[in-house]
Amino acid sequence: NSSYQLSSVPLQILFYINGIYYIFYFLATLAMIVYKSEVFSYPDDFLAPDLALLFIMAILEVLRLYLGSKGNLTEEEAPLGLSLVMTVGSVILSVYFLVWQTYVLKADVILNALLLFTYGLESVLKVGAIAAFVS
Amino acid sequence: VAKLCVCDLLVAQCDVNCCCDPDCSAADFSLFTTCSVPIVTGDSRLCSQKAAIYSLDVEANPPERIFKLIDQVNPSLFCIHTTNYKEALSFGSPQMPTSENFDQLLKEFEGATFSAEPDSWNLNTDAQSPSDANETYRYEYGVPIQTVDAFLRLPSPVVSSWCSDANPAGFLVNQATKCTRSVSVETCGNIQAVSMLFYINSSILAKLHEFLFQVNITVQSVVVQSLNGMWTSLNSSDVLRLPMILDELCINIVLGVSYHITYTDAGEIIEAAASFVLGAINKEALSIQQSFEISFTQVNTKPVPLSGNPGYVVGLPVRAGFRPQGYPFPVEILFNTNKYGQLTVLQSTSNQDCLAAQGARTPVLFGYNMVSGCKLRITAAMKCQPLTQTLLDLLKGQTFPEYVASFGNSRAQDVLDWVPITHFQTSEQRIYNTFQSSCQIPISLEIEVKWTKYGSLVNPQARIVNVTATITTTTLKQLPSGRERTIPVTSSVVFTDISSPAEPGYKAWPTINVKLPFDFFFPFV
Repeated sequence: NSSYQLSSVPLQILFYINGIYYIFYFLATLAMIVYKSEVFSYPDDFLAPDLALLFIMAILEVLRLYLGSKGNLTEEEAPLGLSLVMTVGSVILSVYFLVWQTYVLKADVILNALLLFTYGLESVLKVGAIAAFVS
Repeated sequence: VAKLCVCDLLVAQCDVNCCCDPDCSAADFSLFTTCSVPIVTGDSRLCSQKAAIYSLDVEANPPERIFKLIDQVNPSLFCIHTTNYKEALSFGSPQMPTSENFDQLLKEFEGATFSAEPDSWNLNTDAQSPSDANETYRYEYGVPIQTVDAFLRLPSPVVSSWCSDANPAGFLVNQATKCTRSVSVETCGNIQAVSMLFYINSSILAKLHEFLFQVNITVQSVVVQSLNGMWTSLNSSDVLRLPMILDELCINIVLGVSYHITYTDAGEIIEAAASFVLGAINKEALSIQQSFEISFTQVNTKPVPLSGNPGYVVGLPVRAGFRPQGYPFPVEILFNTNKYGQLTVLQSTSNQDCLAAQGARTPVLFGYNMVSGCKLRITAAMKCQPLTQTLLDLLKGQTFPEYVASFGNSRAQDVLDWVPITHFQTSEQRIYNTFQSSCQIPISLEIEVKWTKYGSLVNPQARIVNVTATITTTTLKQLPSGRERTIPVTSSVVFTDISSPAEPGYKAWPTINVKLPFDFFFPFV
């Protein structure tokens, strides 16, 4: 049936799972930042960038998932390509939370590793979908 | 971690039971019983860290120390994997002051408190200081009064009775001090503190730290004390009299200074006046006694001497006054401005003769029970009525007040704050004879002041509740002519504490107010 339908079903499923996982990731990271600020010495100069980047990442993620989903369903490569470019930004932010955050707890490592794995899988599928749409 | 040792206190010597001490040899380890420090680790919140474990193997003969370096793993999910904040897990080492950062460090740490984030606090203090600028420049109670060069001095005795010139006068602190100064005729010109100039030289700053407004100290009056103690007031008080040697005497030596400072309610000093007592010393004198006094008056008010605020202070005179006649509702109580002249009793004199006492009275001081008296010589020629009047004048004085203030700071306008003095009259001998044809003369006055503790348990204030004045009379028996009799006349003041014991009040225990809804047991009720 792939001659009629070019949209990638695995990609769509992955977008859906990504959305739910990201909500969980956002709430968990926010809660852990609050926990860290209570338990450890977390001065304002270090707390502000971490929180700001978390919120930026949330906004970026919403846009990315929307564009990607729209591009996949309407079989257009432009939004999907834009979504791929935004994935790069999300990856960088995730790496920040994995390595360059003020306090990296074991839970942070697990969450971010999972997120990076999801991004990697998505990127591969997006490239495949773009190839399918273009050709 | 292997090099850290908390129990290694003695340098180059082995500490007992300290297994990590590098100064200990194997022979020393064999003498230990336990290891006081079994494990040395870094911060345990890290996910994986090195730990040095020290233990004693008591099975082996001789016992030996076992040292193991292992990786300790924190199993918690929230263990710290890495940190990018270098001060996170250790105490910050303080900056070493150098000549460059000294000023900044001083500004940061010189206050009574400082926080870890000095920048955020600086914002607050900057916002506050413009409004505080006016406030910090006014004098407050107890602040030393500043003059152009240092502060207003009130020499007072320190440790011994010798004068120390380093005692500043505090704002609104009325003080009177007496001290001894060593001075002789030869040195009287050189000692600054016995010359008038020393006390009026520098001007007082009207506001704290502001050199713009200065108040000169004016000489209000000068009294000259002669060698035999007689005081003469001088008319011209604007001439500065410096000590000088005249006929083997040194004259114009300052024996007493009394400062009167006038202030406004904004905490500014607007006037300062000094009254001097100058004296002279002769060749034999080696030291003089100087007395200093300072008093403060608010501008445009008459000084009302308080005997306590609000409760009476022990040792201060009881305030008393009169209700002006002719008013149906008393508006104000009038009292003598001399606080020591309001309620007085007879003062005992050395010769104990009542009539020679010349009306000497002593003020009634709160809390001080007093007994005083004198002896009256009665001759046959004395008539009853004039004698009674004389004795009454003696006991009560010329102006015996009608009201006593219940608090030390009762105002004249608050008539209800003043307690009337109730008078009683009793007789010494029980006379069943209704014809009191014989003469009754008063011979004793007893003033009983009942006071109570008023106010909080922690800081009770003394409040006068009741004052009674009891005159005891006795019969004057007619004397045969030519005879004389001496009768003692006494007056006493007693202060009685009638305060009821304090009852501490406890807050009621909170009750649980639970009401079930009225149809809770619906099917059954």
